[in-house]
Amino acid sequence: MRDARSVSGLRRVFGDLLLAGVVVAVMAVAPSVYSNQLLLFNFVMFLTLSQGLNVIYGFTGYLPFGYVGFFGAGAYGFALAVMHLHAPPLAAMAVGAAAALVLAVILTPLFRLSGAYFAIANLAAAQAVYEIVSNPALEDITKGPYGVSLSGVFAPETSYAVSVAILAGTLLLVVWLRNSRFGLSLRAIKEDPISAAMAGVAVVRGRTIAWLCSALIAGLVGGAFAWQISVFYPETAFSAQFSIFAVVFTLFGGAATLTGPLLGVFILYGIYNTIGITVPQYFQLIYGTLIVALVLFLPNGLVSLLTKRGIRVP
Amino acid sequence: MLRRTLLSFAAMLSFAVQAQAQQAPAEIKIGHLHASSGPFASISMPVYTGLKIWVDETNAAGGAYVKAFDKKIPLKLISYDDQSSTATAATLYNQLITQDKVDILVADSDSVLTSVAVPIAKEHKQFLFNPTGTGAAFFIDNPWIALIADPVSTIWPKYAADYLNDEGAKAGIKTVAILYSTNDFTGTQASAVRGFIKAAGKLDIVYDQGVPTNTSNYTVLINNIAAKNPDAVLHLGYVGNDIAFLRNLQDSGQKFRFLFSIYPGIETEELLKNVGPEGMAGVFTYVTSAAYEYKPEVGWTLEQFRTAWNKANTGLNFGFNSIAGYTTGLVLQETLKGTKSLDQTALRDAVFALSGKLKTLDGPFVLDEHGGQIGEITPLGQFTAEGKEVKLDVVYPPSLANGKGVIGK
Amino acid sequence: MLIGAIISGLMFGLYFTLVGLGLNLVFGVMRIVNLAHGDFLMLGSFAAYWLFTLFGLHPLLAAVAVLVVFVAVGLPIYYGVVPRLLVARDSEMLSIILFFGLSQVIEALAAIAFGTSERSIPGRVLGSGPVSFLGQRLPSAWVFGAAVSAVAVACVYLYLYRTRLGTLTRAVMVSREEALATGIDVHRVSAIAFGIGIALAGIAGVFAPFMLGSVTPAMGADINVAAFAVIVVGTLGNPLGTVIGGIVYGIGLMLMQTYLSSWANLLPNLLLIAVLLFRPEGLFGRAVRRA
Repeated sequence: MRDARSVSGLRRVFGDLLLAGVVVAVMAVAPSVYSNQLLLFNFVMFLTLSQGLNVIYGFTGYLPFGYVGFFGAGAYGFALAVMHLHAPPLAAMAVGAAAALVLAVILTPLFRLSGAYFAIANLAAAQAVYEIVSNPALEDITKGPYGVSLSGVFAPETSYAVSVAILAGTLLLVVWLRNSRFGLSLRAIKEDPISAAMAGVAVVRGRTIAWLCSALIAGLVGGAFAWQISVFYPETAFSAQFSIFAVVFTLFGGAATLTGPLLGVFILYGIYNTIGITVPQYFQLIYGTLIVALVLFLPNGLVSLLTKRGIRVP
Repeated sequence: MLRRTLLSFAAMLSFAVQAQAQQAPAEIKIGHLHASSGPFASISMPVYTGLKIWVDETNAAGGAYVKAFDKKIPLKLISYDDQSSTATAATLYNQLITQDKVDILVADSDSVLTSVAVPIAKEHKQFLFNPTGTGAAFFIDNPWIALIADPVSTIWPKYAADYLNDEGAKAGIKTVAILYSTNDFTGTQASAVRGFIKAAGKLDIVYDQGVPTNTSNYTVLINNIAAKNPDAVLHLGYVGNDIAFLRNLQDSGQKFRFLFSIYPGIETEELLKNVGPEGMAGVFTYVTSAAYEYKPEVGWTLEQFRTAWNKANTGLNFGFNSIAGYTTGLVLQETLKGTKSLDQTALRDAVFALSGKLKTLDGPFVLDEHGGQIGEITPLGQFTAEGKEVKLDVVYPPSLANGKGVIGK
Repeated sequence: MLIGAIISGLMFGLYFTLVGLGLNLVFGVMRIVNLAHGDFLMLGSFAAYWLFTLFGLHPLLAAVAVLVVFVAVGLPIYYGVVPRLLVARDSEMLSIILFFGLSQVIEALAAIAFGTSERSIPGRVLGSGPVSFLGQRLPSAWVFGAAVSAVAVACVYLYLYRTRLGTLTRAVMVSREEALATGIDVHRVSAIAFGIGIALAGIAGVFAPFMLGSVTPAMGADINVAAFAVIVVGTLGNPLGTVIGGIVYGIGLMLMQTYLSSWANLLPNLLLIAVLLFRPEGLFGRAVRRA
């Protein structure tokens, strides 16, 4: 019995890892097949951001509606390290990640708030960071509203490779969360924090770890983004679109799974790039309608079509 | 011997003919982005439409003449919609370069949406025709860009500052207030004007504040400025800021001796609809090519273009950005005419060769060595109300002036 | 300057009470976050613009028309969307996403229908020249905005506390489950509250061309930020607390503009976070913290 369980457990881990491996491999070789590398980068970016959001939203139920705050902190951490410290790009990425973590630590008190309040407060926090970064009073530090230009470190191939590595690390983290005791305890907190606490689960510690991991991922992706595009304005790095897309992709596929956010990105971002090009004037309309329909008819995402029938999805 | 020479000559000839036949493409692809929605739509759509009018007009005449092939080649405009999103814009620029393999790349019109094109174009050594993105960072250490249809941000406020330092000081203007929106376009103009005033040393800046670009209410700001009692007020904001500022100023009943703002001269129709002639009377502003008849040597005159615009029934107000789009088209036309090939280096050489030699309805086209536009200047003008319309006269510099500035008492 | 900023902020804040009022009513009754609130406000602005441009209709009359039409439009939207949403496990959270989608739909339709130009109604329509108020010269439009807001607050008060339907509405606000158990037609009560909520947004929109200079289809997002700050400060779920929220927001904004103008946008965001963290029940109200 014991053996059977561990065998099926191993099989599950293997299935999850296989899926993660395939996605990483596909994204790694894609540039040699398809030349619009920036589009591929955006795919990698959204794959990672959606999974990063999944770590906090899928496993704890807290929706960071201002997720872009960490992304922007990462991008500007990277930019400041390059501009002022003349740091090599990888070291600058570490600074970006650290900036995102610092912001996450500052924002931990938001966990005292429940659902929607947390989401709104988080949104406001991201806005506040944007307002600070883009203020002309800080021109000497952040270049304020005038934007940064990092053409000295511009290296699209390398930064693409680094972003794929970040994706790989993120997918591994999600696989671990899905198959570990820690991940299980997070989901217990999500279901019912009070009973979980009574059963001896460290509620605050668990949430905080998930939160920091999630912020770290966004910070790293932000750093890679800054490295990849190299010339940007605060509006670019703090565009609400990043949060919104990450939320919608995750939700569309199904949170708390590995497959869901991946499906969400491949399908929705795929559609975005197709209809965005062919019928742009109706794009926003179609997208909005899709979101409404999704929440109404498939609130647990695409994967729920299978899980409802008892089929396990990685 | 003769036979051999003849043969080789014939071979060369056929090679040359072949080469030319191979080189001359069936169409020239122009890649462009526009924003049909979001915060930059109001700037982007007129530029796009102006460019499109030029493309349609050119194709109706059989295409653009390319001297290198000695024939007219039809144009194909591929313009995607970035919906004001920079992330989307970045992938679409890349799409235009790597997938559509466009011959000519034209950026979207706002600096924010242009910014993402700059490194991509540079990376692919694709020359970037930048209609109106004035961000100073674009031109640093970058041979693959030129600003086509409006001047760099340090040129914009030059004549306004010169006028204040010169005529203003003579008329007893001593103190200046500057209120600007904190974004790249208006923020750099504020820095420039501050620099010009300080350098001349004749006027005192008594109020100098930035406000967020989405500020929509200026009543208290106006009261605060009035409390400093400045002789001259410069408001540097986007079109929505200018509308709100001028309406609030009118509502407050406050008057300043000299008032400058940007958009009455750039989007005159839009301002007139929203602010009304009485709110614009006496206001100093930039005189763009939408209000000044430059004698074009190439392309339509202002009136001809306005007629074409109205005929095209775009649903958009006619303004400077419409002209910027059309001017971009004219620069493309002359570039194609002069270029040795459709190679990007040849295109760049052809654009820079136009510098100082091209005059359109947007004024003389002059590039500095970094690709910044310095020919299409923005003289200072002043509005007078005429019934339900307004009239804009150039008051400075004297070489272009067709009216005399009136500074209030 | 200080006194001027405070008095102006008071009047301006009263208008922002109106901006937040509907959002708060909807949140209070249905516990859903209407991220399309700013877009309904935008639709009200365009309604006023077209009614004025085509028929010369005075904004006050336009406000009445908007009230009727928006309530009528709100009912089917409610029945189409909200009942399904409320059975979901985490309806509060999902509502954010759903109404974000709706806001995209509205903005897209408006951009297709109206174009993206800035629109406004001439200021003289609401009286020309400044009005003197406590020694401050204020635009006459502000007086209209504040007055209409005061009337709206009074009407909402009368509705909630002096009508039968209002009593039922308050019962639903206290506890949806108990209201259901006592046989109240919760959906009917909620649908009407929803209709009133977006109608209030629409009425605020009618005056937006005067208060905000001009309007475009993309204006909704900025409005939402301000509206959220107003209702969080005022007390979430308590429509009347919105008055306090609006005034705090208005005065705060004007003080920021006076002393730290380039940081003015930080205000609503910091205010919102600070109130949620340190006084989550709003300046008066009930707890929203968990764990």
